[in-house]
Amino acid sequence: MLFLAPALLAIGLLRIVPFAGAAWSTLYKRVGIGLLAEQRFAGLSNYITLLRDPLFRGTLIRTVVFNLILNPVQIALAMGVAVLMTRVIPLRGLWRTAVFIPCTIPLVGSSIAWGIALRGDGPINGILQALGFGPQPFFTSPHQALASIMLVASWVGIGYWMLFLIGGLNDVNGELYEAAGIDGAKTWRIFWHITLPMMKRPLLFVLVADTVANFVLFIPVQLLTNGGPQESTTLLMFDAYRRTYNYSQPNLGATSTLILTLIMLVIVAIQFRLLNDED
Amino acid sequence: MKLSARLRLTATCAATVLVVTACGAGGSDEQNAASGSWSVPQQDPTATLNVVGILDPKADGMDTVVAAFEKEHPTIKVNYQQVPFDNLNSVLDSRITSKTGDPDVFWADQPRVPALAKRGYLQDLTAQFSGLTSGLQEATVKNSSYEGKLWSLPIANSTQVLFYNKDLLAKAGVQGPSMDPNQRITWQQLKTDAQTVQQKGGASTGLLFGQPNRYYQLEPLPVSAGGGIGAAGEGNLAPAVNNDGWVRAMTYYGSLYADKVSPRGIAAEQIDSTFLAGNTAYLVEGNWMVGKLADSKLNWGAALDPVWEGGKPATPNGSWSVGMNPFSKNKDAAAVFMKWLAIDGESGYAKYRSYAELPANAAGLKSYLGSKAFTGSEGGKQAAEVVNYETQNTPVGRVPTVGYIEFEDIIGRAFSDIANGVDPKTALDSAQNQLSTAWQQYK
Repeated sequence: MLFLAPALLAIGLLRIVPFAGAAWSTLYKRVGIGLLAEQRFAGLSNYITLLRDPLFRGTLIRTVVFNLILNPVQIALAMGVAVLMTRVIPLRGLWRTAVFIPCTIPLVGSSIAWGIALRGDGPINGILQALGFGPQPFFTSPHQALASIMLVASWVGIGYWMLFLIGGLNDVNGELYEAAGIDGAKTWRIFWHITLPMMKRPLLFVLVADTVANFVLFIPVQLLTNGGPQESTTLLMFDAYRRTYNYSQPNLGATSTLILTLIMLVIVAIQFRLLNDED
Repeated sequence: MKLSARLRLTATCAATVLVVTACGAGGSDEQNAASGSWSVPQQDPTATLNVVGILDPKADGMDTVVAAFEKEHPTIKVNYQQVPFDNLNSVLDSRITSKTGDPDVFWADQPRVPALAKRGYLQDLTAQFSGLTSGLQEATVKNSSYEGKLWSLPIANSTQVLFYNKDLLAKAGVQGPSMDPNQRITWQQLKTDAQTVQQKGGASTGLLFGQPNRYYQLEPLPVSAGGGIGAAGEGNLAPAVNNDGWVRAMTYYGSLYADKVSPRGIAAEQIDSTFLAGNTAYLVEGNWMVGKLADSKLNWGAALDPVWEGGKPATPNGSWSVGMNPFSKNKDAAAVFMKWLAIDGESGYAKYRSYAELPANAAGLKSYLGSKAFTGSEGGKQAAEVVNYETQNTPVGRVPTVGYIEFEDIIGRAFSDIANGVDPKTALDSAQNQLSTAWQQYK
């Protein structure tokens, strides 16, 4: 207990107290403008205001859809790359480093770089045109902006989650593969019946952590699209930020964040159920 | 084992979730507790000031300004920190409301002064400074005040100039736009000329705006087209951004991008260098571009801003002021620094920052327009004439309202949507609705 005390104290002061403060402030309204104004109890009216706001409902749905697409794609790709990187291939260390390097660059830097790369006159469009495709609008089109944000997030995410999965793959008992090989199992069957079941725990961790990370994705949105075009990249975290700082509605901002948290918890709970049921 | 693993995982994500939620927590419930009396002292106190501004210490010359101040006032140290323009609001929000008094002094965008004052982020300077502002241009003092009180000291003013690439225009056989106020080029003509230079002069870009999709830059379009500044009524809290004038102006703006006269998706920070690269025919940009052009090899000219066909000319004005944090623990020293920056002599800011914005200080403005950038070339002389004429005859301030921060954000997104191809009426209707909702809290 004594050893745990500093950690518990830190969790209490740095996590529980601010969380309780945030949750508490969702029940209050400001009398006046901005963060320095006095607060009065207002019951659930902040929640009602938000849920009645069609822009907020749009943001809510968009955030959930964004995550339902992005998380499985990122994890499938990270898993694919991880399997590849545990095979005996020439210069394996080099490839692993190459995939991991994006994680060492701050997201602000990589967002700016992607912003320039995907400009109308940027290098990616240059390559597309050289290959005979038309130039793409990327961040300036409401149909492509969110997908472009997914690209930026995945460029960093895949390498990062790959590391955890490589760790998991290396822990799988080699004898299982040998036995399967002797039984004449094919590669795909081995992956499906041995690798995947043995990887359940690292996969669960990666799934949950990736979900949390993507639910709170903020930097590329703020830097590259400011929530546009036509709100197409306004995700909940950005919405909370905008309400708090640009619109001087800190209590609505906190409410938006709390709703984000609740949705995230529900999804994480479902993930636990799904991956543990088969035991 | 399974249970404990599950517990651990649950704890991990619960902790992550808590971090997230904590970010949403608001400030405290005390109203602005500005404390302690202060003055503009005769004798310098000893202090270290934290100053937050949007200028790069090296590239924008703030290091030189700070060094000059510290030399003249050796007991006051200035710790200058740069914050990007887009993040200034949120940085001020979190740092001022933490009530630590850091920063002591900060850059305040003049149109945001009413909003910042209303939120309790600015120290009232009326008693200490209102007798000292006679050497400042009146319009800039007005921009720095709200409800009859002085909330900040103006250090700069601004206007816009139509710059053009002489070589590309000559190659296309297009004449440079006029310097005669009666022959001012229209926005419509400018688009046609820009297209001609693209087709015949080989320009890859016809027209660039220095600050694409920002209200400061684009306000003259709807104003000149008869749509007004964007809000009306008491305290300018009734949005007016979807009337005919606005729709006409923004239809024109959208057409520049649709017709590839202007390129989509270039950030404001990348515009000046794109024009300096030499493949752009026209650039509407602030007076601060003159210094960059004077240092370049580009063969450039300057002309009066475009006007809407059949409309009245309008140009943006206003710029930066410096404000004092009401929670500062070094108000006397902050007052010394602010006075030096804005008022003393030609104003320290104008004197020591080469190619600064137009000084708000009248003596500073005179020597600014006499500097080499404005006298050393034909383009420079033209620019000086434009600056002189536009600041006196055509400026239109940005909409003065406590709801300015929301206004700028919402209308900026509408502009950006229009540039990206959304129907202007749809985008402006949506902005009108969003503004009505956002401004409810002020009524």
